[in-house]
Amino acid sequence: MSKDALKGPLPVILALPVLALLQVTLQDHDFLIYLTSLVGVNVILAVSLNIVNGMTGQFSIGHAGFMAVGAYSGGKLSLEMKDYALSFLPHVVSDQISFMLAILVGGAAAALCGFIVGLPSLRLKGDYLAIVTLGFGEIIRVIVQNTEAFGRALGLSGIPQSSSLAMILFWVFLTLLVAKRIADSSHGRSLWAIREDEIAAEAMGVNTTGYKVRAFVISAFFAGVAGVLFAHFVPIINPGSFTFVKSMEVVVMIVAGGLGSTTGSVVAAVFLTLLPEGLRSAFSRLDDPSLAQKVDQIRMPIYGLLLVAIMLLRPQGIFGTHEIWDRWKKKPKGAT
Amino acid sequence: MSEVLLHAQKVSIQFGGLKALCDFDLEIKSGDLKGLIGPNGAGKTTAFNVLTGVYRPTSGTVQVAGEVVNGRLPHQINRLGLARTFQNIRLFKSLSALDNVKVACLAESHPLFRASGIEALRKSGQSFMANGLDALNNYYDWWRALLLTPGFLREEVNIEDRALELLSVMGLRHRAEEEAGSLPYGEQRRLEIARALGTRPKVLLLDEPAAGMNTKEKAELMVLIRELRDRFSLGILVIEHDMKLVMGICEQITVLDHGETIAYGTPEAVKKNPKVVEAYLGEAAKTDRPIGATP
Ligand SMILES: Nc1ncnc2c1ncn2[C@@H]1O[C@H](COP(=O)(O)OP(=O)(O)O)[C@@H](O)[C@H]1O
Ligand SMILES: [Mg+2]
Repeated sequence: MSKDALKGPLPVILALPVLALLQVTLQDHDFLIYLTSLVGVNVILAVSLNIVNGMTGQFSIGHAGFMAVGAYSGGKLSLEMKDYALSFLPHVVSDQISFMLAILVGGAAAALCGFIVGLPSLRLKGDYLAIVTLGFGEIIRVIVQNTEAFGRALGLSGIPQSSSLAMILFWVFLTLLVAKRIADSSHGRSLWAIREDEIAAEAMGVNTTGYKVRAFVISAFFAGVAGVLFAHFVPIINPGSFTFVKSMEVVVMIVAGGLGSTTGSVVAAVFLTLLPEGLRSAFSRLDDPSLAQKVDQIRMPIYGLLLVAIMLLRPQGIFGTHEIWDRWKKKPKGAT
Repeated sequence: MSEVLLHAQKVSIQFGGLKALCDFDLEIKSGDLKGLIGPNGAGKTTAFNVLTGVYRPTSGTVQVAGEVVNGRLPHQINRLGLARTFQNIRLFKSLSALDNVKVACLAESHPLFRASGIEALRKSGQSFMANGLDALNNYYDWWRALLLTPGFLREEVNIEDRALELLSVMGLRHRAEEEAGSLPYGEQRRLEIARALGTRPKVLLLDEPAAGMNTKEKAELMVLIRELRDRFSLGILVIEHDMKLVMGICEQITVLDHGETIAYGTPEAVKKNPKVVEAYLGEAAKTDRPIGATP
């Protein structure tokens, strides 16, 4: 029994020393840390959106909205808590504790929004749901843009730079673990069933509306977490970081990776985050360094082209609905 | 006498001006094997849809396991013990055959708060509280999956065992890992039955389970259906076009035409009923051709 009891949290316990080691080794490589952090945040976003769009077959295009809710609520909280260090603890520890608190609050706030948006709108299908999520993302952006407390268009600055590589990778790991365990349970199968055929799923006893809302809530939670993490390593967050373009970026990632494939989402998120950085450093070697600055402007057209290319060449994405390891799984004995 | 598990009384449904089903009566007990026949567009599938909660009846009541289910959602009605298959196969195509059945073998829920307590709250008008507790129960189920509690792991093993057993029963054990959508037609129909059985039904509704099969497959399927009834002590209602098959295995037959029940009784009685002959059998009966078979 004691072995079984450990199974649940075991991967997390094993991961912690590895993350700590990474943190120590990479300590002095600022750019590398920044890049890895960016990749980490995007992986969390892609994997969490894949729970709704890929596993459940819904079409949400407002993921940046949930990210914004997390970033602003968590960031605001950290700003407020800045001066209240727990004096009996070393500074770093106190800092990370309040950071963790901000992450959980940001995630919870986003999850709540996911519930509020999800409950009425998940009775809608396809395009209608897409429009609602799109509207949600824009509403959040407009609200933030017009609220004094959130710095209006200027955004929030001065948020403590508490994001550490270890913390970000820890949440990446947690997101992946949750996605994997959902996929390995009856809950995951119910989500797939909804994706495949909602009427049949309902007829087989699956509470489709309930499952869709829960998928939405979980997905929103991790998007919120990603937002908080993001807010704590960039110098400033403003409404411009959470536009429709950001939502589309995440959608492109999961479509490229293969809707429904968690590992596909990871691969695509890593690649599509590093691509602009790679271009930037490649261009900066050329004689005309202004090209490097143009990378951000040509990023969306490149994503667009990429999406078109994928749709033409491999519409199911890199991995389809499968995971990387499905390739190695052996066929059952009796199979023809 | 065993209790009536599925009971429809004067059930009617109207789509705009069209009365698709009119005063439909039905009683299924454990061990019953009944047939529902009628020409194309008679309202047979519509009857299934009303019974399983896909449509809400315009009038009349449907009872499953003694509870009135008018207005309940299909998954709630399924949980009471009514399962079905679809005329136009609706498998989870890109999932494996095994996963198709596993979806239906829903985990037993291990509620934090007892269902009876929640029901009592709801009846006393505190539906907000009841919904809240329901939600907590659901999230608790997710936690068990995320933390891999021993109970959860045991349950997953049980689900897999049961799903494999049902595949064996339907002769699909060797197809377990194959994509449902890639199976031959006849096997897809059998897989749909396996999936429906996964929900532990008391009553099983089969919508043209033999459609698209060849004669040999059809005959085997009918034997299998009777075996299922005995093995799982089910009540079964079959929609079937092939008159010979229905006559061969069903003990009672209801005949629909334009939504109206025009005959009910044993196969012999139904076959001789002049209304049936007129509305449905026509030339087919004289030439002894199976009903629905294209002339
Ligand atoms: N959702 C619907 N809306 C309108 N008409 C419907 C609907 N479902 C079924 N019908 C109509 O009800 C009649 C009975 O159809 P159906 O039950 O599928 O017949 P069958 O006996 O062949 O299974 C048909 O005329 C069909 O067009
Ligand atoms: Mg029909």
